[in-house]
Amino acid sequence: MERRKNWYLTLGLALTVLSVGYSALGLFWTPYSPTAISTADQYAAPSVSHLFGCDHMGRDVFSRTLEGASATLTIALAVLAIGFAAGLVLGALCGYYGGAADAFVMRVCDAVAAFPSVLLGLVVIAVIGPGKYNVILALGVLFIPSFARLARGEFLKYRDRDFVRAARLMGVSNLRIIFVHILPNTWPVLLSGLTIGFNNAVLAEASMSYLGIGVTPPDTSLGRMISEAQSYFATSPWLILFPALVMILMILGVGMVGEGIRERLGDK
Amino acid sequence: MAEPILDIQNLNSWYGKGKDRVQALKNVSLTLAPGEALGIVGESGSGKTTLAKCVLGLVTDYQGILRVNSSRPQMVFQDPYGSLNPARTVGWFLEEALRASGVRDRKERKARAVDMLVQVGLTEEHYGRKPARLSGGQRQRVSIAAALIQGSKLIVLDEPVSALDVTLQAQILQLLADLREKYRLSYLFISHDLAVVYQLCDRVCVMYHGQVVEEGDVDAVYDDPQHDYTKKLLAASLALD
Ligand SMILES: Nc1ncnc2c1ncn2[C@@H]1O[C@H](COP(=O)(O)OP(=O)(O)OP(=O)(O)O)[C@@H](O)[C@H]1O
Ligand SMILES: [Mg+2]
Repeated sequence: MERRKNWYLTLGLALTVLSVGYSALGLFWTPYSPTAISTADQYAAPSVSHLFGCDHMGRDVFSRTLEGASATLTIALAVLAIGFAAGLVLGALCGYYGGAADAFVMRVCDAVAAFPSVLLGLVVIAVIGPGKYNVILALGVLFIPSFARLARGEFLKYRDRDFVRAARLMGVSNLRIIFVHILPNTWPVLLSGLTIGFNNAVLAEASMSYLGIGVTPPDTSLGRMISEAQSYFATSPWLILFPALVMILMILGVGMVGEGIRERLGDK
Repeated sequence: MAEPILDIQNLNSWYGKGKDRVQALKNVSLTLAPGEALGIVGESGSGKTTLAKCVLGLVTDYQGILRVNSSRPQMVFQDPYGSLNPARTVGWFLEEALRASGVRDRKERKARAVDMLVQVGLTEEHYGRKPARLSGGQRQRVSIAAALIQGSKLIVLDEPVSALDVTLQAQILQLLADLREKYRLSYLFISHDLAVVYQLCDRVCVMYHGQVVEEGDVDAVYDDPQHDYTKKLLAASLALD
């Protein structure tokens, strides 16, 4: 039991550090310009000068996966920042105070959560237009309900605990009780939810880019690269292999970290 | 007699609304003098906790006179595992009470928190510990420290020792007796264990179905119970010994 828990967390963290490090590298450095077109290198197979080969326009796939991974990572993190921050505040207040406002907010969350976020994202993008920032905004807002629900459950669990009552009797303000007394107790559950959210955000961005309503050229992302590469899968499989590999490692790593956290929780 | 620290006259209290509304307290009257310990005994559901909640301002649906002449009465809870914040250290929790009562200086807060720990029989070593690394008895000592650190004179104790084993019970009861004398505290001490009440309290109120059915000095009530229910309670506790 002990060994398995560590195994998940350790390997997960290693993969996460690897894939996030790779994506972070893409923010600062790529061996070639990710958009430089070269007819001579069209469909070039992986080699020493082009590690991951070249695509249909002769662009260096290694450079493009670096840039695509960093775009995917920043989009996912920005989506989480919006969804998690707003969801946490909303859920914390609803769970702690309860009442009619809580019932109303949760009803709205249920309604939003009843549809797949990619589908709703499609609708939102149809209204506000595609592009990196609109994708972040659309997905960020659509991610609020799931985090709100998670946070609400946690705060509901703690609000009638004796230590919260004790703090109230001491004269500690409600907001301080929520964010300074209760919040630290909820981190393990919220963090594990955050890892699931991260993977959902990566996949949602990929799905939207795949459908052509996500990141628009000249920007790229892992999802966009996979989408572009599908026509050349039979002849140049590296075009799809490498971006898919980076995405899988990213999702696998973060997912295993979440699993590790959950197992550690279960032990308590 | 000095002005009572707690004065309750004809207190009625309810739970629920509309046709689900049930009365939990019926015409309860009692007073508590400064430095006095009053035991509240009664079977499960007789309204003891409800009475405590009224005193602490946690119940709003009540009628009658309820005068509390103490700043922020505090509570010691039954379950030593639930009354401390698992994510925070003992020292942090005690200092939080001081912060809430306006002590700005960090050094002063720490010094007072450590001093309070010593007062309840712990040491500075426990200051940085989280509750998970304390025993049940130590936790209850921390809860007592937290209840006292703001200087409250009225302390409500809801079954504070019933979750502890017998030797620990005796230690905590001794501590409570010492602290009462030292700080001239008033206790509203809830228990269904008559022996415990006898040990710690000056007077006792017997509650039955939300009413006070008997009230008096512990010796008098124990030697010569008037109400049938008190007699039954006494017989039951004697049978246990
Ligand atoms: N939150 C609540 N909502 C509705 N009814 C309640 C609530 N709390 C208590 N009651 C009812 O009020 C009555 C008195 O309950 P109370 O908790 O004061 O009893 P108690 O004497 O403290 O019992 P115990 O010894 O089991 O702690 C009981 O009949 C109980 O069912
Ligand atoms: Mg009770």
